[in-house]
Amino acid sequence: MTESMKVTVERKDGIAVIYTDGYINNQGGEEIARVAYQLIDEGYRKLLLNLEKTKIVNSIGISILIEIIEKMLAIQGRLGFCHLTPTIHKTFHIMGLAQYTTIYPDETSALAQEHVAS
Amino acid sequence: MTIETRVPVDWQEILSGIRVDQDWNLVERCLGLWCQGRGVDAAGLYAGDGTRHRRVASWGDVPLPDEESAVLLSDGLARLELPNAVLLYRRGRELPTPGAHELLLTQAEEIRKLRERLRVQRFQQSYRQVELEAVYEVGLAITSTLNLEELAEGILLRAVSLSDARRGALYLLEDSAFSLRRTIGGDARSTVSPGEDQLERLLADCGDCAQDILPGARYTMAVRIEVESKAVGLLLVGDKESRRGVGPFRDADRRTLNLFANQAAIALENARLHRQALEKERLEREMELAADIQRELLPTGTPWLPGFEFSGWNRPTWQVGGDYYDFLKLGGDRLGLLVADVTGKGMPAALLVSTLHSSLRLLFDGAEVGADLLSRLNEHIVRSSSSNKFITMILAELEPATGRLRSFNAGHNPGLLVRPSGEIAHLRSGGMPMGLLSGASYHSQSFDMHPGDLLCLYSDGITECTTPADEEFGLERLEQLLRDERERPLPEIARSVDGAMLDFAAGSPQSDDQTLVLLRRTA
Repeated sequence: MTESMKVTVERKDGIAVIYTDGYINNQGGEEIARVAYQLIDEGYRKLLLNLEKTKIVNSIGISILIEIIEKMLAIQGRLGFCHLTPTIHKTFHIMGLAQYTTIYPDETSALAQEHVAS
Repeated sequence: MTIETRVPVDWQEILSGIRVDQDWNLVERCLGLWCQGRGVDAAGLYAGDGTRHRRVASWGDVPLPDEESAVLLSDGLARLELPNAVLLYRRGRELPTPGAHELLLTQAEEIRKLRERLRVQRFQQSYRQVELEAVYEVGLAITSTLNLEELAEGILLRAVSLSDARRGALYLLEDSAFSLRRTIGGDARSTVSPGEDQLERLLADCGDCAQDILPGARYTMAVRIEVESKAVGLLLVGDKESRRGVGPFRDADRRTLNLFANQAAIALENARLHRQALEKERLEREMELAADIQRELLPTGTPWLPGFEFSGWNRPTWQVGGDYYDFLKLGGDRLGLLVADVTGKGMPAALLVSTLHSSLRLLFDGAEVGADLLSRLNEHIVRSSSSNKFITMILAELEPATGRLRSFNAGHNPGLLVRPSGEIAHLRSGGMPMGLLSGASYHSQSFDMHPGDLLCLYSDGITECTTPADEEFGLERLEQLLRDERERPLPEIARSVDGAMLDFAAGSPQSDDQTLVLLRRTA
């Protein structure tokens, strides 16, 4: 895991996959939000956050993720997560994020199921 | 401008109210506000799985069905499709007055604030649960991982996350200083000394005084990781985050981090004990292997010589020992009987025994034994051993044809030659212990063995066997026992010596390696 958040994007058949590498805190969360809102502006309504290289998230990071989720709901879009560590997975469940998004074990199954849901 | 566009309550807000708050009273209040703003008499919100929608909230006096599918729109109800929900409503006859509009605006603002407070409250409650889960999970880690590196990472990740810190560092006590094991979010000093001024001030809650330990951090919080009131580590977190930037940590953060550190201490201690147990197990395996190797160095049987009988017996204190005995084939058809005792016990002594064994094989096999050979052996041992290690040794050279016995005693207990009459001759010291000093010289004593004579070579583990009151078995008891038993078969004499020592020790643990070599001339 790197010191500061690095975010990269791959566009795959109408689904934008956002790859995070680092700590989802205030700075990391805002970087993810910036990228997500930019993709929404581009017209993407399906976002997938791949957290394979993220081992840690704090409450500020979660509140930013909730804002992204609300934004996606407002535009009737879909936000999914994949490759969560067990700790982050549990945190998302406790914080209620899992109710509004879909959590996939890996990117392959996420993309397959999101395409079916199109 | 119409009321509908000015009232800041819309479907999205109602839906997010349902989804985020799960507070149906609040949702109904939002629904009511929407109805009043639009001049609607009654409305029902139906949610479900896409095929069947059940009423989840309603407003107004007009009765509405429980299921949306049961409604005929000709009943005067209007239908509005929403994401994952359906709204049925009955429009009223009149639109609200401008005065009602102002009232609605006030109510809407109050509801908005209430919703926001509830959201924050619920978020904090949920995150409190995350904190408790993190503490609980570290407890679980005790059984799930015993890998110290994994554990250290897990502890620091959770500590930083729990305290909403931007960065953190974990130190573990190594020797007499706290050594840096992991960092997140920035560098940290490599070592911290227990009791150093900056650390003490930090532990005393001086949050802005750790510039030297966490360079660049504006606010720092530190707690000790303690096992039985002894600090085994330090947890440092820096710069508490909020949406506005970073700030100091609160008392509640310190309490949570302390609680977390207590759990972490148990996990770390468990990992340390596990590592220690693995190391002990490894050493035991190595000792067993060394014991096997050392057993192979000792004779597997006794020589066969007409007119003579032999016996050899050895019992180390630990798995491996510093005693050694051997039957050596010397030049001129002579036979050497040797007992040696390396200073100390255990592995270091066993290693020197191994050196002695190979040196004897190289130097003595078929050789003419004399003072020069003993000196060469001494030089070899001097070079092969550390300065505080030496070997006492007695070598009895037997010429079977004549019964002539020549002994070399390098600082060892005197050998005992027991005559049939019960008289005992001592094979006394004739030089310094092997390996003690370079240039040592050795001389021999000669005896004639007659039929019935019994020779006993032994190590000090026999004569220095002690009682619980610390009384030694001693040379006199050994001599008396040999006199009494001198005519019995050699294995029985060895068993008698062993039995006498056990009786004498009366349960005291064996404190030194014990070796006994017997030779009798039978004809």
